[in-house]
Amino acid sequence: MSFIEVRNLQKSFGPLEVLKDISFDVQKNDVMAIIGPSGSGKSTMLRSLIQLEQVGGGSIIVDGDYLVKDGIYTNPTDSKMINSKMGMVFQQFNLFPHLTVKQNLELAPKLVKKEKVEDYGHRSIELLEKVGLASKADELPSRLSGGQKQRVAIARALMMNPDILLFDEPTSALDPQLTKEVLEVMRNLAEEHMTMIVVTHEMEFASNVANHVIFMDDGKIVEAGTPDEVIKSPKELRTKRFLNYELNK
Amino acid sequence: MSYEYFMSMLIPMLEGAKATVLLFVIAIVLSIPLGFLLTLAVRSSIKPISYLAQTFIYVMRGTPLLLQLLFFVFGLPLLPVIGEYLVLDRFVAATLAFILNYSAYFAEIFRGGLISIDKGQYEASKVLGLSKWQTTVRVILPQMFRVTLPPIANESVSLVKDTALLYAVAVPELLHYAQTVVNRDFTIIPFFIAAGIYLLIAFGLTIVFKYLERKLQYE
Ligand SMILES: Nc1ncnc2c1ncn2[C@@H]1O[C@H](COP(=O)(O)OP(=O)(O)O)[C@@H](O)[C@H]1O
Ligand SMILES: [Mg+2]
Repeated sequence: MSFIEVRNLQKSFGPLEVLKDISFDVQKNDVMAIIGPSGSGKSTMLRSLIQLEQVGGGSIIVDGDYLVKDGIYTNPTDSKMINSKMGMVFQQFNLFPHLTVKQNLELAPKLVKKEKVEDYGHRSIELLEKVGLASKADELPSRLSGGQKQRVAIARALMMNPDILLFDEPTSALDPQLTKEVLEVMRNLAEEHMTMIVVTHEMEFASNVANHVIFMDDGKIVEAGTPDEVIKSPKELRTKRFLNYELNK
Repeated sequence: MSYEYFMSMLIPMLEGAKATVLLFVIAIVLSIPLGFLLTLAVRSSIKPISYLAQTFIYVMRGTPLLLQLLFFVFGLPLLPVIGEYLVLDRFVAATLAFILNYSAYFAEIFRGGLISIDKGQYEASKVLGLSKWQTTVRVILPQMFRVTLPPIANESVSLVKDTALLYAVAVPELLHYAQTVVNRDFTIIPFFIAAGIYLLIAFGLTIVFKYLERKLQYE
């Protein structure tokens, strides 16, 4: 059984059809890279999975449970339970600016899972160590570089022990040096078999870390397969054109 | 001018300043939360509540505070049928007018503060599983208060000065006593003393707000 099954997903913003019949599967431990030109619907697709967008049709099944079945959403209790299996990392980090790094990590475990400080206190330090930022625990986000912010955002998502992490262009707001440190953290997560869907323009990451690649254009999946299939030897003209453009940037 | 004479002017004025400060404190303490509730009402998805709140804010901001004061102090008791139950103490009626008027201004400030908060904050809260209430109280409000602190400080200083409008509805306050001494002794010194007291209160407020701003600084 796939961890996530997406079937015939459709989504429109008013008259604009943004997702047109999207179907794919994600297995446990997969690292799936989603690539494609800007405006092709990558973010909308990712946001639909984690309920930041409401779809108009199709089905999403997570871990055997329907989130949406033929366009009809399940009840709020179940959709909350399904959401708690997912974490998300945003392009703009979206850290809470009024809280310290450590407080950013601990807010949700405290409020949502009602954890005790004995539990979340250790975990937050461990995770900060893992992303190399234990020394910044008591800093405010405004004192961090973009790369550090994004690593904090990843640690914050991990605090909730999600089964899958969604990344929406996590390095697009960063310069190359900072991009490297964030990709390094993501690569480590992949080695620990974290299930991830990553919308990215980093072709190197998509080739070497992902085991699945989806190329989207104009609200459709144009090509899907292994990195070797989609990135090294694309079949579709649109994929070739896009890769040509991305690789020669 | 002898010390005794100066005190004979100052002491009644300090008596008046008490009313000024009391009005200020009551009005600020009640109009800020009320203003926030108004903001929530404006943003409510229940349309009648939203329209009602918007109309209230529009009327309170669009008409002179002095008119509202006169209405609450002298107008309410003249209303048909219910008027006889609305004969309030003048200070109470005036305070009510201040609270309602200022809550409308604070509501506008808070509305602006909420608009300025990035939608990413709501999205991050949602994907972490925070409830609407938790998101509001733990994520949005602290940021909203921080960004609205400077305009709230401005309004507070305005409120201090606006308390002088009590003069027009014959509630004794600082300016009233100053004027009394001016008439009694044909000296303008009480005006300067009154100005000094207003400035002192405003100065104290500025210090408090600057302290809060520094304490809540996170940018
Ligand atoms: N909230 C929205 N309202 C209206 N149109 C939107 C909204 N979000 C995205 N779109 C449109 O949907 C299309 C796909 O956007 P998006 O999913 O962000 O693409 P990508 O992430 O691939 O760049 C674009 O044409 C975009 O303008
Ligand atoms: Mg996008």
